[in-house]
Amino acid sequence: MTGIIAIAAAIAVFTGIGAGVGISMATGKAVEGIARQPEAAGQIRTVVLLGAVLAEATAIYGLVVALVLVFLKM
Amino acid sequence: MHEEMSLSERLIEAMEPHTMFTIKLPWLQIPVADVVVVMWVIMAVLIFFSIFLTRKLTAVPNKKQNVAEIIVEFVNNISKDAIGEHHWKAFAPYLGTIFLFLVFANTVSIFNVIPGEGFKLRPPTRNINVTASMAIMSIIVVIYAGIRYKKMSGWLKSFIEPLPLMLPFKVLDYGIKPLSLALRLFGNILGAFIVMELIYMAMPPVIPAIISVYFDLFDGILQAYVFMFLTSLYIAEVIE
Repeated sequence: MTGIIAIAAAIAVFTGIGAGVGISMATGKAVEGIARQPEAAGQIRTVVLLGAVLAEATAIYGLVVALVLVFLKM
Repeated sequence: MHEEMSLSERLIEAMEPHTMFTIKLPWLQIPVADVVVVMWVIMAVLIFFSIFLTRKLTAVPNKKQNVAEIIVEFVNNISKDAIGEHHWKAFAPYLGTIFLFLVFANTVSIFNVIPGEGFKLRPPTRNINVTASMAIMSIIVVIYAGIRYKKMSGWLKSFIEPLPLMLPFKVLDYGIKPLSLALRLFGNILGAFIVMELIYMAMPPVIPAIISVYFDLFDGILQAYVFMFLTSLYIAEVIE
């Protein structure tokens, strides 16, 4: 039972892949945008921060699920 | 003391709040956890500095007035950018308060200078009850902003604004927003806290100090900023 819970927690943490890809794509496009238009850097920074935060939410949910599995069920 | 405890037991011991003392009233007893005591200490520090930095204000600022003005202007600019020129003044104090409180709450473990076992300063936001109450506070401010600036009828009408079909999603929105605010702060701080505890256990001397710059300082301040930023965006969305 303990082993299955550990595997379940590990699978839950796989949500981090999506967040990593999403944040890196958003940041890459933002760098391109700032390189093209340096005067719009302030606005781009705000939008990128918002996008990164929203993309990160899935990874955080996965982490919370994994923590609940590990610490509340074992 | 901790020699015979396993790694996961030590982690759970660090994560859970401990009852420090009990307030005894004739009809009930209130256990006070160390999380609450740390928050009281942070509040006392914030109140002390607010009074100390704003005493004897003058038109030409001196040293400590400069510090206060930098902080206030930072918060004012963020709320002005997000909420707009007309209504930002009503919400800047709330945004500044949660930002300053969360900055101290998230980074409090770097002030942990007392060596040895016993009482340790640990971030109170590693407890989901703290972050959930902060998120509920924020959503109450959002609802208040909607009712104040669009009147009760206008706010209720916003639920069926483009289409009446949207009603369930708009209602769900008011549950998902605080849930994601609370879980984001809780997950980030607890994750960073667990990583730092593991590093403290694995390699105690100099290395944790370097890694703590990222996990405690940078991550803590970033999450405090994100919490304030998202709250200001939700307010701007509802009063538009």
